[in-house]
Amino acid sequence: MNIEEYISSGIIESYVLGLADAQEVAELEQLKGAHPEIQAAIDSFEASLETAAFANTITPAADTKDKLMLALQDEFVDQTNIPNQQTKEAKVVTMPLKPIPAKSAKMFQYIAAASIILFVVSATLNVYFFREYTAANKQVVALLNEKNALFTDNNNIQAKYQEITNSLQLMSDTNVIKVAMKGIAGKEGNLATVFWNSKSKDVYVLANKLPKAPEGKQYQLWALVKGKPIDAGMLNDCNGVCKLKNTQQADIFAITLEKKGGSPSPDLTQLYVLGKVSS
Amino acid sequence: MRHHLTYQYSLEAVKKYSEAELVLLLKQRDQTAYSYLYDNYSGALLSVIHNIVAEVELANDVLQEVFIKIWRQIESYDDTKGRLFTWMLNISRNASIDTVRSKGYQNSQQNQELTEVKQEAAGSTQLPIDQIGLRKVVHQLKEEYRVLVELAYFQGYTQDEIANMLGIPLGTVKTRLRNALIQLRTVIKE
Repeated sequence: MNIEEYISSGIIESYVLGLADAQEVAELEQLKGAHPEIQAAIDSFEASLETAAFANTITPAADTKDKLMLALQDEFVDQTNIPNQQTKEAKVVTMPLKPIPAKSAKMFQYIAAASIILFVVSATLNVYFFREYTAANKQVVALLNEKNALFTDNNNIQAKYQEITNSLQLMSDTNVIKVAMKGIAGKEGNLATVFWNSKSKDVYVLANKLPKAPEGKQYQLWALVKGKPIDAGMLNDCNGVCKLKNTQQADIFAITLEKKGGSPSPDLTQLYVLGKVSS
Repeated sequence: MRHHLTYQYSLEAVKKYSEAELVLLLKQRDQTAYSYLYDNYSGALLSVIHNIVAEVELANDVLQEVFIKIWRQIESYDDTKGRLFTWMLNISRNASIDTVRSKGYQNSQQNQELTEVKQEAAGSTQLPIDQIGLRKVVHQLKEEYRVLVELAYFQGYTQDEIANMLGIPLGTVKTRLRNALIQLRTVIKE
């Protein structure tokens, strides 16, 4: 075979670019041993390919390198911490094909033994660290749940605290008249308090002790002016102090149990509590 | 020749490792060597990838994948089989072809065709791949050669597959591809 013709047949380029088929590759690799000019042609084409690629570089996205370094950060081995250039992981040792002298065979045995030991240690450490990691992960989840629960509790407590502060402010206002409404005969255990601002005429009710209103029923506050009842609003499911209707005048405040939404006039058989405004 | 000189010069300015040193340090999992490898080769490899994957963002994703592969497979690099760059170039080419042949990519291409008019109006992020790197060189080849290099090199079809696709004998595919590569070589060397 004429080697020069062979080299200029395009086989070199086909081989380097990975386009040659298995048969062509085998043929070339066999010829390469006997003809150094084939290797020279390969080297030359590789060099010109590299030069061409470097003449056409495209700058990658700025964050690509950071992403890579981050992704591989656990795989780098700090060379300065390894005194005898031995890597942490067990290395694959390629056995030379030449007969190995006895002394060096012994050496290989040591190296092989050492790499097996290193591998076992590394595998054990993997298992150990994986367990540690799983345990730590569970703890984090538990702590997060606890944190969320505490956060919710805290919110509830803050809301309660706000109500209490509001109530306190209301009760300590000097313009506010406090009317204690006590349970009438037969309902002595009940108690509710009206806070009536004599300036703004705002009315607030604190249901200290009232049984829970039955389904479809609601408590209604009445202001009695010269014996005539005036609707003063419904007690909704408010926590603590409920704000009711502005009331201009009242001699007596009373609460009756009415149908949901209230009645135009009180059902006096359902009178629960009543209190006189002290003038 | 001008390209050749530019390359020499730019390498001189930053040169730190010989190729053999670089490979040895990479096999020892050295971070500085890897960082150096990225700084020096990412631009050239991205142009190789870009010849096959047109979208800038996707090409960058492939570049990242390629550098991970280089890191994970450096043990298998054998310097008696060829230069480091050729080895990395082939990894880049294979990864790019895999990406272009993947189902996800095919679907996105179809969607793109539907919205092509809109894309053009909005200013697409595709670079004209016919105008850079090896593809630009291939563009200057005769039509019958161009098709073969396109299918074999940029799309990764085997010579058998190409013979079937184009309905020409395998021998003809081989001869034409060889001739195409000879021409390619001449153009690259200019």
